[in-house]
Amino acid sequence: MLSGIDLFIIIAYFAGMMLLGYYFKRFVGSSDDYFLGGRTLPFWAIGMSIVVSDIGAMDFVGVSGQAYRYGVSVGNFDWIGSVPAMLLAAFIFVPYFWRGGLYTIPEYLGKRYNRTVRTIASLTWISFFAVDLGVLFWATAVLLNVLMGWPVWLSILLIAVVVGFYTYFGGITAVVMTDVVQLIIMFVGGFTLVFLGFHSVGGWDGLVEKVHSMGPEYQQHFHLIQPADTKTPFPWTGILFGLTFVMANAYMIGNQTIVQRCLTAKNEWHAKASMIFGASLKMFIPVLVMFPGLIAIVLYPGLVDGDKALPLMIKNILPAGLVGLMFSAFFAGLMSSVDSLLNSTATLFTKDIYEPYINKGASDKHYLRVGKITTLTLLILGVVTSPLSKLFPGIYVAIQTFLSYFQGPLFSILLLGIFWKRTTQWGGLSGLIIGIGVAFILNTFKGSFFTIENPFLYVSWWSFVTGFVITFVVSLFTAPHPDNKLVGLVYNLTVKKDNKL
Amino acid sequence: MLNFDWLSGVSQHTAKMIFLGLFILIGILVLLIPNDYIFQGVEKKDRHWYMNLKLWALIVLGMIFYTYYIF
Repeated sequence: MLSGIDLFIIIAYFAGMMLLGYYFKRFVGSSDDYFLGGRTLPFWAIGMSIVVSDIGAMDFVGVSGQAYRYGVSVGNFDWIGSVPAMLLAAFIFVPYFWRGGLYTIPEYLGKRYNRTVRTIASLTWISFFAVDLGVLFWATAVLLNVLMGWPVWLSILLIAVVVGFYTYFGGITAVVMTDVVQLIIMFVGGFTLVFLGFHSVGGWDGLVEKVHSMGPEYQQHFHLIQPADTKTPFPWTGILFGLTFVMANAYMIGNQTIVQRCLTAKNEWHAKASMIFGASLKMFIPVLVMFPGLIAIVLYPGLVDGDKALPLMIKNILPAGLVGLMFSAFFAGLMSSVDSLLNSTATLFTKDIYEPYINKGASDKHYLRVGKITTLTLLILGVVTSPLSKLFPGIYVAIQTFLSYFQGPLFSILLLGIFWKRTTQWGGLSGLIIGIGVAFILNTFKGSFFTIENPFLYVSWWSFVTGFVITFVVSLFTAPHPDNKLVGLVYNLTVKKDNKL
Repeated sequence: MLNFDWLSGVSQHTAKMIFLGLFILIGILVLLIPNDYIFQGVEKKDRHWYMNLKLWALIVLGMIFYTYYIF
């Protein structure tokens, strides 16, 4: 399938990424440089990095497949499922975390609640990231095997070597700056495909007209808002309550891989601006990942598996050279996700587990070394464990669903911890544990509780509500923290006095 | 109850208005943020109108409002 020029573009892309990433090695002299880029990065690079880290090769295929089946409603995830949360993060949470000089979100939870909450939150994220790494490697390598015919192990090892090389040496600065290039490649490759696709179906008007004429089941394909009783996974009630109010905020405010990038900003304005700039870029993501699926409805009607829509378009529409660019965009999607997971997990482990529990008070050089070794260990672990994914079909979806279970409770204690000074350590701990427990119960017995097949949006909402209520009630019945211990930790005690955490 | 059945009578059009209303509400809240807080981190002499993040946020909100309006 790949011509010589396509192969050349892919090889040049890999070589370019390694060289660019290695260049940033010179800026790493301390753990602060490695984990926070010495807090010197500009808003545009951070904003681009946030967006590209969120998009993987699987999203290109999966989202276009869902758009083929369900229409534009899948775009809710990148539009209302990101933009309002990013604005909230930009104006309220990010400047707050940035001023505090934090490395991790669990670090805040530890200061606001207690060490157990910090450890539970950190271990949950570390476990999720570590498992996700292997699953991501395997799922994408299998995808590339189908699309390009490359052996699975070749894709995994190639990506592991390139990503491992620049993440190990360059830390988060290398991660962010390579992400910038990866976003540009992704946009150029994706927009070219969409442009050529529109050309072949007679433009936007031609697309809408042809899709609508295909039958009654396509009449809802251009409606973002789906009825509450829809059988698709995107009822408007789930989108509003589960996605907009909980999952989006939890992801943009409580996810280490996202927030850590903002903490690398050179000043508070850049930290805020990075999120807003990222939000503006997010508006274009559905164009790249969703529109190909809509175009494929007209070009390849009646596909049983919607996930085949994008590969068919690449094969039939793109000329030689641009195919290589599109596959580079796939690799960019995977690499930007893997490098984020590596660096963020290393940060969580070093700062939340190693430093407080294993070796307190060591030198900064020591922690830098631990961060680098953790990065390398995780990478090897991810590569070695990736074939386990084939023993568990559907594990990719399961892992993503797992994310929705603990994000709700975690966000509830983050929200109450910041905005309500009466929240106590026991309230937070109970809310977190019971909230996660309820999420597991709802999922395990989802057939008894929900009418839709995949109710992860509803599970997020109800686990958030549970975490919120439990934290609230338990806090009322336990001794409050004295005000002087909350300065810098609770919002109204921070903005007025502008203290460091 | 867990499936929000009690909202199943709400039409798609009304639901759309709820989403559009949410964007307007966020826009109003953004406008209420003090300018000094917006520019925090930038020296007073280096502050320019195009660095006003309220303006950036309103542009993004305008984009998403229009997207939900047409779809």
